[in-house]
Amino acid sequence: MSSKELKKVGPEAPPPHLRVTGIQKRFGGVHALKGVDFEVARGEVMALVGDNGAGKSTLMKILAGALVCDGGDFFIDDSPVAINTPHDAAALGIQIVYQDLALCENLDVAANLSLGAEPVKSGWRFLPKLLRPLDDLEMEVRAKAAIDRLRVRTLNSVRAKVGGLSGGQRQAIAIARAVGAECSVVMLDEPTAALGVAQTRQVLDVVKRLRDTDHAVVYISHNMRDIFEVSDRICVLRHGANVATWKTSETTADEIVVAMTAGLDNGTNNAA
Amino acid sequence: MQPEVSSSPIDRLRKLRESSLGSFVPVLLALAAIWLYFGLALPLWEYWTDPDATGLRFIFLSPRNIYNLFMQSAVIATLAVGITVVLLLGEIDLSAAATAGVCAALLGVLVLAGVPGWAACLLVMAAGVVLGLAQGLLIAYVGIPSFVVTLAGLLGYQGLMQKILPTGNLNIGDPFVRAIARILIPDIWGLLLAGLLVLAMAALALRRQAERKARGLELETATTLWGQVAFFAIIVFTAVLTMNAYRSVPLLIVLLAGVTAIIGWVTTSTPFGRSIFAVGGNAESARRVGMDVKRIRAVAFGIVGLLAAIGGIFGASRYGSVSYTAFAGGSLLLESIGAAVIGGTSLFGGRGSVWNAILGALVIGSLGNGLDLTGASAADKLMFSGAILLLAVAIDALSRPAGTSAR
Repeated sequence: MSSKELKKVGPEAPPPHLRVTGIQKRFGGVHALKGVDFEVARGEVMALVGDNGAGKSTLMKILAGALVCDGGDFFIDDSPVAINTPHDAAALGIQIVYQDLALCENLDVAANLSLGAEPVKSGWRFLPKLLRPLDDLEMEVRAKAAIDRLRVRTLNSVRAKVGGLSGGQRQAIAIARAVGAECSVVMLDEPTAALGVAQTRQVLDVVKRLRDTDHAVVYISHNMRDIFEVSDRICVLRHGANVATWKTSETTADEIVVAMTAGLDNGTNNAA
Repeated sequence: MQPEVSSSPIDRLRKLRESSLGSFVPVLLALAAIWLYFGLALPLWEYWTDPDATGLRFIFLSPRNIYNLFMQSAVIATLAVGITVVLLLGEIDLSAAATAGVCAALLGVLVLAGVPGWAACLLVMAAGVVLGLAQGLLIAYVGIPSFVVTLAGLLGYQGLMQKILPTGNLNIGDPFVRAIARILIPDIWGLLLAGLLVLAMAALALRRQAERKARGLELETATTLWGQVAFFAIIVFTAVLTMNAYRSVPLLIVLLAGVTAIIGWVTTSTPFGRSIFAVGGNAESARRVGMDVKRIRAVAFGIVGLLAAIGGIFGASRYGSVSYTAFAGGSLLLESIGAAVIGGTSLFGGRGSVWNAILGALVIGSLGNGLDLTGASAADKLMFSGAILLLAVAIDALSRPAGTSAR
C-alpha cells in the first residue's frame, strides 16, 4: 500500500489531475450520461462503479476519445482541453486498457510491448521507415524495463509468446503497454473479471504500483473486495448520473451496493 | 512463467512449434519420411522380393533426381513463398497461379515482340504487382473477403491468359530468359558461396550474442546458438554438394533462395513484417496501436503478385515455353497453397515462415516425383497429396494454443 499521507476529501480533496464536468451523451433516444462529473488525481486509484447500464463504459470511452460526448468540459491540471479522438487522449497522456486487452498472442512479450512503435536500427536511412531493420534487442531492453517498473515477478522471459501466458500476466502486459507510452492517466476496464485468486492478486499489485509511481488510475470493476483493497475513492454512477463519491476508508461495501442499486436520498458523506 | 506440469503429446507438440527452430521440425520429418520411403524402403523392398534384381538401385536419392526435384519444385516454392505472406495475415490467395500464368504469357509475347529479356522481366514483375495489388485494394478497402476476390481473380486471370495466348502455347527462345534456368554456378563457386553464407551466419549469431551480453539480456544457450548454425550449414552444404554431384547449382535455385531471403527478412525483421504478424494475430489490436491495417493487407497482395510474376518467369525459363496447362489451368495453385500449409504456416494467420514454404514445396515435389518413379497413376498422386495436406492442417490445428482454437 502507498505510504503517502492520508488523503483529504471534500473541499480538501487532492487537486485533480484529470477533471470532467457536465458530460452529456445521447445514443439516439437513450440519454446515457446526464451531466456526469468525474475527477482523478495523480497518485490515486479512483474506482468507478455502477450497475450495468449506469454509464461507466460510456464515460470511460469518452475519456479515451473512443466516443465523442455531446456536451461537457475537460480539464487537465485545471487547464481546459478537448478530447475528440483516441489520438487526442494519448497526446494528453490518457491510456485505456480495454477488457479484451488487445494483445497479439502469436507475438512475444517484447514485440507486444513495442507494437506500433517498434525501434529500428540507425544507419539505414536509404530504406523507407517501414522496411528498416527492427532493433529487437532494444525492444527487449525496453520490455524488461517496463516489466520491472511494474514488478511483474512471475514473468521469466520477455521472449515468451503471449499465447502461453496466464490471464494475470496478460493483464499486466496490457497495463505495461499502456504505461510504456508516456502517460499520466491509466484507465482499467474490469481488469480482474476473468482471473483466479492468485492472478487477481498479481494484477492488484500492478495497480498499486501504478499509484506509487504517481499515475492517476481509474479502476472499473464489479468486485467490491478488489475495489476496497485497491482504491482510494469510489465514484458511483446510476442511470447516467452521479450518485456520490466516497473516500474508501470511510464507507462500506454495503453502502456502495445500496448506492449503486437504489441511489441515495441525501448527499451525506459526499467526498467529491 | 508458471511451471509446465502437463506434457501430453499435443502439449509437447505445441511447445515445439513455439520454439524458433521447432517450426521446421514437422515439415522436416514429413520430408524425411517421404525420402526414406521412396529413397530407401522401396528400392530395398524391390531388391528383396525380386530374385532377378542385379543390385540396389537408389533412383530417388540419386543426385540427378534430387537436382530435378529442386528444379521441379522451384516454381511451386516461389508461389508458396508469396502465398505464405497473405496466409500470415489470415487471408488466402487463390489467384496466384493464374497471375503467374498471365505474367508468363505476357513475358512470352513481349520477348516475341522484340523487347529485351531483362526489360520484359521487369515489366512482367510490375504487371504482377498491379494484378495482385488490384485484388488487395478490393479486399482491404471495399471489404470483400479475400476468398471471393481471389476466386474471381482466378477465373478472370485464367481468361486473360487465354486472351494473351490464343493458341495456348508459346515457345520462349530469348537467351536472357532461358539463362535463368540454364546457367550453372561452377562447382567451386557454389561451395564458396555456401561457405561464405555459413560463415556470415555464424558471425552474425556471435555478434548478436555479444550485443545481448553487453545489454544484459538473456543469452541464447550455446546449444541453440551452434545448433542453428550447424543446422543451417548441414542443409546448405548437403544441397550444394548433391547438386554438384550431378551438374552444379543452377542460378534458378540461387535466385529462389535470394528472393526467399529478402521476403523472409522483410517479414521477420522489419516494422512492416511485424505489422503483418500483428494483423494476422489480432487485427483489432494492430488497429488500436495505430497500424494501417488496410494498407498492410493491400501491400501483402501486391507482394503475392510480385512473387507470382517471378514464379511465372522461372517457369517460362525452365520449360522454355508458356502453356496454359503449366500455369493457370494446371495443379500449380493447389500445389503452392498446399506447400505453404504443409510448411506449417497457419491458415488462421499470424504463424508461419517463408522458409517453411520452401520445405513444403519440396514435400509436394518429392511426393509427385517419387510416385512418378514408382509408376503410380495421376489418381494416386492426387489422393496422396490430399492426404498429406490434410495431415499438415491437422498438425496445425492440434498445435494451436488452446485458447484460440475457437477463432
